[in-house]
Amino acid sequence: MHAQAPVTFTVGWSGSTLDTLNPAAFTDADGASKIIVNIIYDPLVRVNINGSTTPDLAMSWTYKNSTTIDMNLVHNATWHDGQQFTANDVAFTINLLLKHPEISYEHEFVQTIASVRALDNYTVEIQTSKPDATLLDYELVNIPILPQHIWANVANYTSYTGNPVGTGPFKVIKWGGPGTYVQLAANDNYFYGRPHIDQLVFQYFSSSNAMALALESGQIDYAGPTFPNALLSSLSSLGDVQLISRLGPEYYYFCFNGYAQGFGNPALRNKEVRIALSHAIDSQELSQVVWGGFAKPQNTIIPIALGDWVNPNVTQYDFNLTTAANMLDAAGYKVGSDGVRVGPNGTRLALKIEVPSDYAEEYRAAQEIAGWWKQIGVAATPQITDTDTMGGESVNWKFDTYIWVWSTPAGGDPDLFLSVFQSSQAAPAPNPGFSDSGYQNPVYDQLYNQQIQQTNSTLRHAIVYQMQAILHQDEPYYPIYDPYLVQAIRSDMFTGVPAGLLPPIFIGTFYSLLASVRPTVAPAQASQTTTATAAMGTAISTEGLAAIAVVVVVVLAAVGVVVTRRKSSKKGQ
Amino acid sequence: MVNLAYFARKIVGLVVTVFLVLSFNFYLFRILPGNPFTLLFRGSGLSSQAIHDLNAQFGLDKPIWYQYFVYLRNTAVGNLGISYQTRTPVASLISFALINTLILLSVASVISIVAGILIGIIAAWKRGSKVDVSASATMLVLYSMPTFWLGILLLFAGVIYLHLPVSGMTTIIVQTGALPQLIDLLRHMVLPCLTLVLGLTGQYVLVMKSALLDVFTEDYMITARAKGISNRKLLWDHGFRNAVLPMMTLVSMNLGLSIGGAIQTETVFSWPGMGLLIYHAILARDYPVLQGAFLVVTIVVIVANFVADMLFPLLDPRVTSH
Repeated sequence: MHAQAPVTFTVGWSGSTLDTLNPAAFTDADGASKIIVNIIYDPLVRVNINGSTTPDLAMSWTYKNSTTIDMNLVHNATWHDGQQFTANDVAFTINLLLKHPEISYEHEFVQTIASVRALDNYTVEIQTSKPDATLLDYELVNIPILPQHIWANVANYTSYTGNPVGTGPFKVIKWGGPGTYVQLAANDNYFYGRPHIDQLVFQYFSSSNAMALALESGQIDYAGPTFPNALLSSLSSLGDVQLISRLGPEYYYFCFNGYAQGFGNPALRNKEVRIALSHAIDSQELSQVVWGGFAKPQNTIIPIALGDWVNPNVTQYDFNLTTAANMLDAAGYKVGSDGVRVGPNGTRLALKIEVPSDYAEEYRAAQEIAGWWKQIGVAATPQITDTDTMGGESVNWKFDTYIWVWSTPAGGDPDLFLSVFQSSQAAPAPNPGFSDSGYQNPVYDQLYNQQIQQTNSTLRHAIVYQMQAILHQDEPYYPIYDPYLVQAIRSDMFTGVPAGLLPPIFIGTFYSLLASVRPTVAPAQASQTTTATAAMGTAISTEGLAAIAVVVVVVLAAVGVVVTRRKSSKKGQ
Repeated sequence: MVNLAYFARKIVGLVVTVFLVLSFNFYLFRILPGNPFTLLFRGSGLSSQAIHDLNAQFGLDKPIWYQYFVYLRNTAVGNLGISYQTRTPVASLISFALINTLILLSVASVISIVAGILIGIIAAWKRGSKVDVSASATMLVLYSMPTFWLGILLLFAGVIYLHLPVSGMTTIIVQTGALPQLIDLLRHMVLPCLTLVLGLTGQYVLVMKSALLDVFTEDYMITARAKGISNRKLLWDHGFRNAVLPMMTLVSMNLGLSIGGAIQTETVFSWPGMGLLIYHAILARDYPVLQGAFLVVTIVVIVANFVADMLFPLLDPRVTSH
């Protein structure tokens, strides 16, 4: 069937580098390594491209009570080396993670698990210490199941460099080393059926420009995780390249430092002031100005990409400078002689708006906001701050306001976004939590604890909606927008990008893409036309020509100037 | 004949320099705000307990003088530590990257040195002519052109018109066999190499030319010319051999610096060398990798200078007496 050259799907990646293929060595979740490991090793369950939980090594599961779940495993899974997969592998993996906190990244996902045991060859019982609503969507999707017959003999887990042996749809042929590429072959015996492509190449690019060129010239077939806005217009004008824009599982927010023991402007501890300031921010306008429309304004603190977890009844405070000014008047902040409002206890409404250097383009948003605020008597100074410095300011509560981003590494679960508003997360240095707003509300805390233990999805949704409504009333953040991640495929070569909410290359969703992507033309022909020269885009070649012409002109002009100056100075002598 | 006292003086200088750089590197990366794990909860959602554990695991919770002591002791026995980011030994990361950089750099250096010397000689010999002025001006323009920009332009041209590969060192699906693989590597090297060569040659031309022009005004050159020596002999035996000394200094300095200094070129072309390694380590605050990489760069610079110092007395007997 595949006597011709194999069908190779080449994916370019310009995000974080491909560091390691050892799942025990991760320190970072959004890395390319995690994406690749996730198709070599199977977890028990996966999150699909719509953000919902689907079977993988576990084909079904039943809760025996609120803390005990039985996972019924597939019977026909085999490891890449031919050994049979059984429930013992699952129990081994989870016990390994329980016992070894040095496997720091995966160890996080067994925090609520009290015990695990194999009931028979294809049933595993997992007990949690308390009811855990995110066990499937967050914990189990992130645990790659390891082969006991190999890992039982590994001496040092975090530095293990053996060839990965998993149960997943692809097995490793060759890894080029950190920051290069990995070449994988379809697993012929994959228990959910062999992928339509024969080989997968995942290649790292340190420059998005180079990646765009590689896509145009046919050196790669797919590109992610996203392109900068500047490249989108030239990419979208190419006939053979199809752009896939979906909202990322993240959102940008404007944070008010309202922590009572913090060092921010004390006016921000008053929720009337925060709401007034929010009335003077227009996320609709910002999404156009900063993102050229490639971002969708948020209403709540759950990214729009998370679908039905977003409370549809919460809407953003309307943009109205008069309302904002009236609210500040009512709160006792009167415009002083220099045009800046001063509060009852002498607090001037002069604020710094910081932007982390990693997201320097948001400086434009900070400038816009400062402009609106100026009109209502609030003096704001936009400033770009080194990301790590800002991290330090954040945990020490030494800032007024900033723009930053929350994103979830895996899954479509809202827990991470909700967790940062717990009172327990707002604490003084040196033991701060993840709160940056300093929000503290016992009612919210209670609801948080209820939702994390509510394994009934409908009931949990109701609580999560209520929490969003509370946060909207207290406005610790102004949620700004959820940008689109724009990925691209050579549609003349490959087709079958699955429809869904989330971008196709993401930790869980890459699996969905690989399961459905297939050559646009028959394999025999495809292999003959895969050569780099086959189809050349035209949009960039004119640009390229122009750029080269510019260089030639610049060089010639410079040479000309020097020559003539030499001549004239000689004449002068 | 290399003087023993001269040799000993240089060796002591070398050891002291390495130690100072070692200490400076350690301090430099720790005055950067933040540490590798402070921002891990963003994006990966690690709990504060896990971050605390990571800090403890890598000894970042210990006092700074203790970390310094451990660092010195480990470096002394050749242990450069474990990368925070990839959990692999720094030594293996560096040796992988160093080889890749050396492959690129050695070719680029040889081409640019040879080209630089030849163009420099021609420019000096035909001083003031159209050839000299246009060569010198072109070199000056290329030398002052931003590497990143030049790289991106070459990328456009190379990919679209010459169908050269865009990134990395190898085509992943490649024919087996040594020759096809070598050709593949060379195809990948064309663009990054050209970028480096264009940037480096300018310096060499300008230094070679001015050194030769200096030599041409020396008395012995007039004497040689008066003796009736042929132009060719005059240029090579009397001129070139004397003018090559400043060139040596520049080459030895450049070789060392460009080990870590090809960052821009490597970033544009995704070449997995030292430049890219350092770039990513800075982004991730990966102290062990940064310290290791800077140490290697330092040692290469110092050793290159040392070799140049040792070669000088051989080339120019006057140096020993200083």
